[in-house]
Amino acid sequence: MHNLISHLYFAGIDIGSTMSKAAVVDDEGKMLAYVVGPTGAEHRLYANKLMEDLLSKAGLTLADIAYIISTGYGRVNVPFADKQITELTCHAKGVAALFPEVKTAIDIGGQDAKVLKIKNGRLVDFLTNDKCAAGTGRFLEVTAETLGLELNEMGRLSLQTDSPVKINSLCTIFAQQEIISRLSEGELLPDILAGVYIAIATRVVKLARQLKVEMPVVFTGGVAKNAGMVKAMETVLGVPVLVPEEPLITGCLGAAILARDEAFKLVQRGEYEGHRDKKLTEARIDFGDKSK
Amino acid sequence: MVIATTKGLSRAHEIYTDRGLRVRELRKAGKKIVGYVCLYPPVEIISALGLVPFRVFGDMSEPITAADQVSITVVCPFLRSIIDLGLKGKFNFLDGIVGAHTCDIGMTLIISWRDYVKDAPFTHLIDVPHTDHAPAVDYFEGQINSFKRHIEEFAGEKLTDDKLKKACELHNKQRKLVRELYDLRKSDPPLLTSIENVEVLIAISSLPVDEGNELLEDVIREIKSRSIKPPRKKARLLVWGPVFDNTSLYQLIENADANVVIDDTCVGTRAFWADVKAPYNLHALAQRYLVDIKCPRTYRDSCHQELERNYDKDLDSRFNYIKKAITDWKVNGAILQSVKYCDTHGYEVPNLRHYLDTLGIPSIYIEHDYSERSLAPIKTRVEAFLETLD
Repeated sequence: MHNLISHLYFAGIDIGSTMSKAAVVDDEGKMLAYVVGPTGAEHRLYANKLMEDLLSKAGLTLADIAYIISTGYGRVNVPFADKQITELTCHAKGVAALFPEVKTAIDIGGQDAKVLKIKNGRLVDFLTNDKCAAGTGRFLEVTAETLGLELNEMGRLSLQTDSPVKINSLCTIFAQQEIISRLSEGELLPDILAGVYIAIATRVVKLARQLKVEMPVVFTGGVAKNAGMVKAMETVLGVPVLVPEEPLITGCLGAAILARDEAFKLVQRGEYEGHRDKKLTEARIDFGDKSK
Repeated sequence: MVIATTKGLSRAHEIYTDRGLRVRELRKAGKKIVGYVCLYPPVEIISALGLVPFRVFGDMSEPITAADQVSITVVCPFLRSIIDLGLKGKFNFLDGIVGAHTCDIGMTLIISWRDYVKDAPFTHLIDVPHTDHAPAVDYFEGQINSFKRHIEEFAGEKLTDDKLKKACELHNKQRKLVRELYDLRKSDPPLLTSIENVEVLIAISSLPVDEGNELLEDVIREIKSRSIKPPRKKARLLVWGPVFDNTSLYQLIENADANVVIDDTCVGTRAFWADVKAPYNLHALAQRYLVDIKCPRTYRDSCHQELERNYDKDLDSRFNYIKKAITDWKVNGAILQSVKYCDTHGYEVPNLRHYLDTLGIPSIYIEHDYSERSLAPIKTRVEAFLETLD
């Protein structure tokens, strides 16, 4: 039935506030390749470059891609996408593809945090904290800068202790002052760092508890790459969390899988060919011009 | 007499974009304009004395700057916006302002207005109890009576039974017309958009009652006869919450493949659903405002003086009017919105969401800081909510 698109591929592109990610899947929804890079100020140019990198990594051309869905904060700035879907739906789809039993997903990105409730692989409820960068990736970056540490190093150091210092403030600015004053009081660096992670986890778990945390819990987003953060999350939640091998790409993976579902729907309705011809012509022009 | 060149929906849009347009003309012609904040000052008394009631709203596109001199920042930004506009002279066409103790900030707004804005010679604050028990209604009637005496003095005129009756009938007619307007959104697709609806309601809140009624009649006629209709969309939504005196939220929702077909907000149904019942006396006004307006600032207690508190019965007595709206307008999702720092509405949200769950109506709660600029993150949440309805 789907022979029209049976040897074609489907792509998802996630333009986040800090990092952009793209993935391509085959007609069975299996991921072939993904790419990740910093978003920068020029969303449109970067979306083109990311797509080129993805295609070259997968050994494909744009003509092999049957359908593209864009997501994330910059989803409107992907001129070659066939459709936009919010990052909440895409994350839920991507997380469920990797962990089919998932019921709760916690995602902490560069400038926001979200909690997703997932039922049978579908997003059913969510909460976001996107008014302030406190308790997100940006908070950790500022802390690392203040202390002159690498992010990974910060995570490793924090694992050396079981007695985290209590950090009271979560405002990015006030917390930095608190960290400095704790250092000057002679507190040990690992204890302070562990305290920072606990403070971030506490904030997002508060959000999660509003939706009721159900196991299994999956933790994603750039911040989930940090070992100290994962440990703190488990401590505060009181349950183990699952972390994907590459926690950054659940959004674009979900978008790619949704692209496949969407293309199948069009085929079933007999609307695919017309859509693709039109899209391909437009996309070629756009893509060709801007990638020079 | 200035004759309006536009009619119907374009007239509504014109007044929506310049709310003082008509009252400035009327003032030049010698009319006195009395602003009122929130839904609790009885507009019938203002109209009956030959004054023009003008509902005071804020402005979501105007950054709040002057208000910082007279208020703290961690309170209702809608009410802060009003005092901000007052301090900037944007309500200089008002001869008076009436407020009510609908919430604490609503009360302090009127006090600040009297002390700092000073433009309007007449200010009055009506105390409003927070339950609908019988002694509370009697107390509120007394408050309406003292408002009556104060504003009679200001108008230089006595409120007679006859004048009050006529004004009640005119305002009831307006409420009936508004309900007719809402009936036009019961069909799928609705015959008008929620954006048009808000523009019309804000326009009639800025006009004398008879002119508002005329505008409503024109609008209803125009909508019934026009050939272009809003498109059918995936979702038929209810919007709940405090005042949203701006079309931007409705635009955002309607751009995201949903029609807002009914609301429970202070600009919409809450302001127009209940009539004043005959005989048109002060007690009837007290009943209409305190008991019949369904705003969470008044607690509608079903278990008053009962030893056992029954949670389900309590929820039903507070929210069953919403259940009726959901059935009548065939709603399949609800957006609960509130302005930041509104504890009145904030406390209501968990109970209301639970009630909607029991009805099988998915809902989302969004909070905004009463500025057009802050709507971008809300857009993603609204879109994601609609995606969950697939």
